[in-house]
Amino acid sequence: MKKFVAVSMAALLVAGCSEAAVEEAQRGDGTDTIELAEFPDRPYWGDTHLHTDVSVDAFGFGVRLGPEEALKFARGEEVTATTGMKARLARPLDFLVISDHSDAMGATRRLYDAPRMMVRDPTLRRWRDMMHESPEQSTLAVAELITAAANDEIPEAMRDPERQAKATRELWDRHLDVLDRYNEPGKFTAFAGFEWTLMPGGNNLHRVVMFRDGSAHTRQVLPFPGIDTTVEQLWDYMDAYQDTTGGQVLAIPHNSNLSNGIMFELTGPDGGPMSAQYARRRAAREPVVEATQIKGDSETHPFLSPNDEFAGFGVAGWELGNLPLTARATPDMYAGSYVRSALLRGLTLEERLGVNPYAFGMVGSTDSHTALATGDEDNFFGKHTGVEPREGRAMEGQNLGTRQGRFGWHYLAGGYAAAWARGNTRAEIFDAFMRREVYATTGPRMVVRLFAGFDFADSDWEGDWVRAGYTRGVPMGGELEDRGTAPTFLISALKDPDGANLDRVQVVKGWVDANGEAREKVYDVAWSEREMDGASDSPVPPVGDTVNRREATYENTIGAAELRTTWTDPDYVEGQRAFYYVRVIEIPTPSWVLFDAKQFGLELPANVIEANVIQERAYSSPVWLRPRSTPGDAPAIMDSE
Amino acid sequence: MSGNWLRDPLAHFLIAGAAIWGLLALMGDPVDPAERSITLTREQQAGLALGFERTMGRPPTDAELDAQIERWLREEVLYREALRLGLDQGDPVVRRRLAAKMDELASAEAETAAVSDAVLVRWLQDHPGRFAEGERFTFSQRYFPDEDAMTRFLKGDGREYSISLPARMERATYDEVKAVFGSEFAEQIAAMREGRNAQLPSGFGWHIVDLEEREEGRPKPLDEIRERVEDDWRSSTAAARRDQAFDVLREAYRIEVE
Repeated sequence: MKKFVAVSMAALLVAGCSEAAVEEAQRGDGTDTIELAEFPDRPYWGDTHLHTDVSVDAFGFGVRLGPEEALKFARGEEVTATTGMKARLARPLDFLVISDHSDAMGATRRLYDAPRMMVRDPTLRRWRDMMHESPEQSTLAVAELITAAANDEIPEAMRDPERQAKATRELWDRHLDVLDRYNEPGKFTAFAGFEWTLMPGGNNLHRVVMFRDGSAHTRQVLPFPGIDTTVEQLWDYMDAYQDTTGGQVLAIPHNSNLSNGIMFELTGPDGGPMSAQYARRRAAREPVVEATQIKGDSETHPFLSPNDEFAGFGVAGWELGNLPLTARATPDMYAGSYVRSALLRGLTLEERLGVNPYAFGMVGSTDSHTALATGDEDNFFGKHTGVEPREGRAMEGQNLGTRQGRFGWHYLAGGYAAAWARGNTRAEIFDAFMRREVYATTGPRMVVRLFAGFDFADSDWEGDWVRAGYTRGVPMGGELEDRGTAPTFLISALKDPDGANLDRVQVVKGWVDANGEAREKVYDVAWSEREMDGASDSPVPPVGDTVNRREATYENTIGAAELRTTWTDPDYVEGQRAFYYVRVIEIPTPSWVLFDAKQFGLELPANVIEANVIQERAYSSPVWLRPRSTPGDAPAIMDSE
Repeated sequence: MSGNWLRDPLAHFLIAGAAIWGLLALMGDPVDPAERSITLTREQQAGLALGFERTMGRPPTDAELDAQIERWLREEVLYREALRLGLDQGDPVVRRRLAAKMDELASAEAETAAVSDAVLVRWLQDHPGRFAEGERFTFSQRYFPDEDAMTRFLKGDGREYSISLPARMERATYDEVKAVFGSEFAEQIAAMREGRNAQLPSGFGWHIVDLEEREEGRPKPLDEIRERVEDDWRSSTAAARRDQAFDVLREAYRIEVE
């Protein structure tokens, strides 16, 4: 036995010393490491929201792949999934934010590995036993843990900050080294980040925190815990990081759809009126939200947008209540839970406060807990390892908490984030997020351009229209100052080269009318060829449906490869605050549920089949139209830097 | 993977003991569970203190260390008696951890050994595809929404179509071509010879493609990519050794699945 100890001690020492040199360019933010394009010339694809075995819940759900495997998979290498299947991304991603939960980082793994007698707390000991017993029991243990977190009942032994900090320090330092190792300017960008998981009463206020910098900066901090903190303390932490290190950091709220109305409140956090300072801080720290992911889509709800025939994507099941379903949602909560209504609330608040707290761009991501950043319907590896591909997963009840109401087929395959950048480095992609030149998709890689200005014309398409867009207007995420004439937009949407054709392109406009009412309208601005019924003000008829439900296939015989248009707002009124974003809709395609049915030979109920013929989509970040500023006004929301 | 049981000295003792016992049992040497002498060395005591500190976040007091020792002794006695009674038999947790230990044993050397340049150079030569700088393609393309439109154009009575795709790509890698034009197009262009024209379909429609230049990929020298080669060598070797070790053991069994 002694010899054994000696050997393993030696092994530890060797492992500690084997950290080989990583090139200097990989360690920093990538500035001056590659040649940059004059203008952002292509969207870079990424996932800003991925969990590995470091996450307290992901490990408990069974994942045994860590950050390194996650990075390998994202950049296109083959890995073996926890459940044994070989997995390789057909099209690699360009960037990845590993966002393991800051709370109890690595704790389930430590609890699992701890000798049983050292675990004194009866609850922890029971969870430990359950994790060892079987995958099913392990999943139950985590469900209990999430509910306990939601109810603020995590055992003291697991939340002891000092003990946790020490363990987290070890993990974080090692993790940052791994990130630098996989960060290759011009090829693949590995961002440092974590998920801040505040969830009062189970209402989801989660944010992904994403750093611009390399390990020399990020090593100076630790991930900030969500339990027992407030969002303002998170911003304090972010401010302090920027002040002390000179680096930059942003936060991305997600799953507002599971917040029961408290993600985008009209009031301040204490229930009183929102202060301008709160609004300013929020806008500065949270330039982008995650609008779509595996746990549903947060763009809008049919209750909020009754005239929007494409509202309601990824809403079923998720609309019922908060994250662990410990509290049901009622319709009066929806306006604080969905992104479009939040953008509208932002306009209203800006009228009163002079600053818009909710002037954010949009991205999609996965929130996968399998360490595999899969966003497509035909490669869905499941929300977590317990639901990696297997026969029963589509029809099972899948509730994080203990109550009923959500089933496997309610889960989406997850989305991706696209960033318009001049090159693939930490600095370039982070800066695209800061200026909101990013967009969300529900998985397909459509290429979406949006420029806003006052003098664009159809003839611009014949020349270098991208240059025209950047020099005579602003791209998505930008702001225009009212000039007394209607804004005009150059809008282009190119289909995913390996995906479905496009049905239509829409502009979603939100504005505050003369009575101070927040209003919204969806315009069809470009669509593929089809039979029109002639009436000029009638909506564009449906594109058709080529989906073979049984085979999980579709034909690109309908729809268009590209849709583009020059569009001028027909309802412009001088002096009104407004935002405009583009929504691109694909032709109908089968969701992962139909792929599962085909692969495993399932007989699905008719309503489940029809719910899983879907029209995937992209959401651009908005462009804002602001009233002419009077001298002394804060010109823009980005001014707090 | 490898760090967890190493980090945990107590689990380590338990499992190591069990593993060695298991090994001896496999080799047919009789274990003598009746041995009635237990020695707790200084190193083992330090290990207990360390284990306490790792779990509790501070070193134990003398009283706590005594309690740890007492508990360890108690466990050791019960552990030996349990082995004597064969209670480890048929326990899925013991079974799984012992199996994992065997894998660790087999791959431990590969995971921690210092590796020479000579080994890595050979690795690089044996697996050039994993480290090659990809091929690069320079081409121009003219787009048509369908084959008919392209045919009409080739006959001289067609028109041109515009789409937001680059008319020319310079020194693009295979993945870059695939990201912009799709898999089908990239596969075909990879099969073309330099200087040739071709009519290729893509997810968008059809293209008349002129492949101006293709540069073959070549592996980089070791010193530029040493880290990547070493990572790859380590993980592949560890996995291979696990498999080899298993195959050797597996050979010795005759297995019937009824």
